[in-house]
Amino acid sequence: MMSQLGTYLLLFGLVVSGYGLLAAAVGAKAGRPGLVESARRCAFGLFATVAAANATMLAALLTNDFAIRYVAENSARETPVFFKALSLWAADDGSLLLWNLILAGYIAAVALRFRRDRPPTFPYALGALFAVQVFYLILINGPARPFASLATPPADGRGPAPLLQNHPLMAVHPPFLYLGFIGFTVPFAFGVAALLAGEGSDQWVSVIRRWTLVVWCFLTVGLLLGALWSYSVLGWGGYWAWDPVENVALLPWLMSTAFLHSVMLQERRGMARLWNIALVIGAFSLTTFGTFLTRGNVLSSVHAFAQTSVGPAYLAFLALVLLAGFGLVAWRLPELRTPASLTSAISREGAFVANNVLLLAATAIILLGTTFPLIVEAVSGQQVTVGGPYFRGSVGPVFLLILLLAGTAPLLPWRATNRSRALRRLRVPAAAAALVVIATAWAGVHQVAAVAGFGLATLVFVTSGQEILSGLASGRRGMRGGAVRALARGRRRHAGLVVHMGLALVAGGIIASSSLGQQAQVTLKTGQATVFAGQVLRYQGLHTDRQPQRIVLTTTVAVTNPGGGTAGTLDPRMNLYPAATEPIGSPSIRRGVVWDLYASVISLQRGGGSATFRFYRNPGVNWLWLGGVVMALGGAAAAWPGRRRRNSGGDPGASAVHKRAAVEVGAR
Amino acid sequence: MNAAGTLRRARAGLPGLLVLIALAASVATLVIVAAGGHPPASQAQQVQQIAAGLHCPICKDLSVADSPAPLAQQMRQEIAQKLRAGESADQIRAGFVAAYGDSVLMSPPRRGVTGAVYYLPLLVLAAGLITAFMVLRRWLRAPRPDPPGAGSPPLSATQRRAVAKAVARLREEEPG
Amino acid sequence: MRVPRRRTLLLAGVAAAVAVIVTLLTTGLGKDPSVIASPLVGRVAPNFTLPQLDGPPVTLARLRGQVVVINFWASWCTECQVEQAALDRTWQQFQDSGVVVVGVNFEDSTGAARGYVRTESVTYPVVEDSGSQTALAYGLRGVPETFVVNQSGRIVNRVIGPVDAAALASEINSLLRARAQ
Repeated sequence: MMSQLGTYLLLFGLVVSGYGLLAAAVGAKAGRPGLVESARRCAFGLFATVAAANATMLAALLTNDFAIRYVAENSARETPVFFKALSLWAADDGSLLLWNLILAGYIAAVALRFRRDRPPTFPYALGALFAVQVFYLILINGPARPFASLATPPADGRGPAPLLQNHPLMAVHPPFLYLGFIGFTVPFAFGVAALLAGEGSDQWVSVIRRWTLVVWCFLTVGLLLGALWSYSVLGWGGYWAWDPVENVALLPWLMSTAFLHSVMLQERRGMARLWNIALVIGAFSLTTFGTFLTRGNVLSSVHAFAQTSVGPAYLAFLALVLLAGFGLVAWRLPELRTPASLTSAISREGAFVANNVLLLAATAIILLGTTFPLIVEAVSGQQVTVGGPYFRGSVGPVFLLILLLAGTAPLLPWRATNRSRALRRLRVPAAAAALVVIATAWAGVHQVAAVAGFGLATLVFVTSGQEILSGLASGRRGMRGGAVRALARGRRRHAGLVVHMGLALVAGGIIASSSLGQQAQVTLKTGQATVFAGQVLRYQGLHTDRQPQRIVLTTTVAVTNPGGGTAGTLDPRMNLYPAATEPIGSPSIRRGVVWDLYASVISLQRGGGSATFRFYRNPGVNWLWLGGVVMALGGAAAAWPGRRRRNSGGDPGASAVHKRAAVEVGAR
Repeated sequence: MNAAGTLRRARAGLPGLLVLIALAASVATLVIVAAGGHPPASQAQQVQQIAAGLHCPICKDLSVADSPAPLAQQMRQEIAQKLRAGESADQIRAGFVAAYGDSVLMSPPRRGVTGAVYYLPLLVLAAGLITAFMVLRRWLRAPRPDPPGAGSPPLSATQRRAVAKAVARLREEEPG
Repeated sequence: MRVPRRRTLLLAGVAAAVAVIVTLLTTGLGKDPSVIASPLVGRVAPNFTLPQLDGPPVTLARLRGQVVVINFWASWCTECQVEQAALDRTWQQFQDSGVVVVGVNFEDSTGAARGYVRTESVTYPVVEDSGSQTALAYGLRGVPETFVVNQSGRIVNRVIGPVDAAALASEINSLLRARAQ
């Protein structure tokens, strides 16, 4: 019964979104606001329908309805309730349900946000959004049907993949990642709408900018949670394996970061319109490409879903997105070329151009490296791997250059007026960076890239901190209301600087963990100890815990300081699931401010009489998580709706005022 | 008058000098670090280095050095054995390639079609530099916009106040 | 007329780029990314001397002159149970025609291997590869994998996954016929 309910709900959703697409398209073309309004209202109905379908699947999972094939393959009676609920997005078909839900949610949010004043591009954007939704609903009603039923329902299901029921992070990593990925549909829709409507002015930019910023925050958190999962759950001591799916998830983040910077060129000086629209379309194209790579069974990856037949569908959609998006850009190229002018390349404008180029270069290098095995196999039939060492060597220098830019560009003036002031403000950051470089080299770090990286991260941190403090100081000095109000007024700039500080922390963490880490593999008998990272680690024994869905073997390792005081215990585990051929390990981590002590048990001998451990000393990893949180919070602060600026709607007068003001400021 | 002027010019140039000194010190330190080289690797570290260049055959994306899988452990043992027997890193890698093919290497072989991947980053950066150059040149050569007020319709009092408010807001946001 | 001409040129450029990308990605669609070709096919099979579970050690070089079917398996591998009947049938059919089937136990314990042999009634010789040196020499990526070695000691085929009895039989027959000529 639930199978039929779910199927009909999804079918109804397809009909509703199809109507929405038609109504919005006709309403836009023929200029009939009534149709557009009915399309807008449809968005809410669509969301309710898809939400009901998701609820149906959730109910089926929780009530063990094994007549539905998806439930039989991804859940079992002994699975804990928490993980039964998470099975909703554990596998391909179910996660497509979540995908449709989030997409419908975004469309409803757009419909809600623009219930009153709307930009003229709104009907086209709505149509584009419904078009994307139609594709994903066709998929879920066609090749990938989660509510498909089995003729003879089994007595018990197979249960979720062991790796996916091992840790509660499974609850948050996919949703945040999807919120980030799917969210790029909105800026794309408005971008395409602006091109279709022939919008010559810059009204679309402020709408797109805020949505992109929110989506960027979600994607930052999603990527961070993925790295955290890799580190805390998978047990190999690292957080990023340069897996193809990880790489393609990073690409839209890089492109949207470039957009969020480059958009300031358009807001302030009316420049870089072509860049910006291309970046917006590129970011969405990359998420579509990423979806194709993940679900189309093209490259081997940890994240790749099981063999499915949806590959050709995703490829066709990708082709459509590329043709429509970039075709429209090519069509409107003459109108996008702005009359821009610049006095000097060493200016804020020049820095933004450099930023665009560097971030796009990083994107291109990662994209080409990830697809290189595919290209080579198509051309010459050889099978090769492109892994971590290649990416670290090729993209690392680019990221270091980006750090250099982040540390100096906030000091550069617009239009290159008053450059000596910029040099003056560079004194303290440059001195701090030089000190860190010398100190790091003195301390014995022998990798040049690491020493340079620490210096550049310091530069970014001190520059951003200095600029925030001077913003506070100017608040105390003369402006009305003091420091807090000054912070609030310069909110966008200060939030951006906070994001840069987070970036410096992330960079420091990555450099420290990649170049200063230690690891050792050692087999210990019960009672035997070894010395690692200045501490004594003694294997104390094995404890077996039989749970309904798995057997957990916990080893205990006592950690003592060389002076003799106990520092605690580590308890890495091996989980034996009936469905898995090999045990799934769970690492044990003692987190510290500067470094983590990380232990993983990789094999047991003589029934626990002896165990083989891998111990890691990972410096800087917690700076990575902290820095990521700071970046996301900074982005959220920048996106927070400030005083109502009424230039995000159809108010051409306000835009002219803004332009005139910008000109007057720039002419100082 | 001359002395005061010179002093003022020198004081004005001081920040630039400071930044230059900081930059020079950093670069010099980096050169020293680069020339210092790496400490000699113990056998365990050598095993790790070779293992880090090999792709664990049963894992999706981990190197033999990182992977906890039993086969990866056995590969590391075999690498250690071969090192003790006197084989070079290249010989050990060639041995694994003979059994598994080129895909067991973490990076593609440098000769032949697959070597193209090592030129890609340089090509990409070159393309980026050319793009930046062309964009900046076009923006630098563009004619200046008309000075404010010339040719545009006069503003009403309300609009002038709005402009003043927007200017003040922009100045607050951008202390520089 | 210059502007429309330039526009069509740009559009054609976009279409061409998309076509190249799509063609490239389509080639990837047809293949299974987890199947990697073995460089050993056509080369001399790496020699090994491994202890039997119950019996004297088996050396591959001593089996020169016979067709050898080397099957890597493990007691924890469910797909190996699927092909067990096919392998037994092959052994029964060909053991007197100059064909040897050897099972190589991979990453397992002796006790578990013996238990498997008993429950599945394996009749052909089974050897243990503790340390996995032979598995590494054969480029093993998982179990089950089966290698067919001809009478001159060259690997003529590698099968990933459970073998099919009929396919294996026809391959052995063609090798026997080729040698007979």
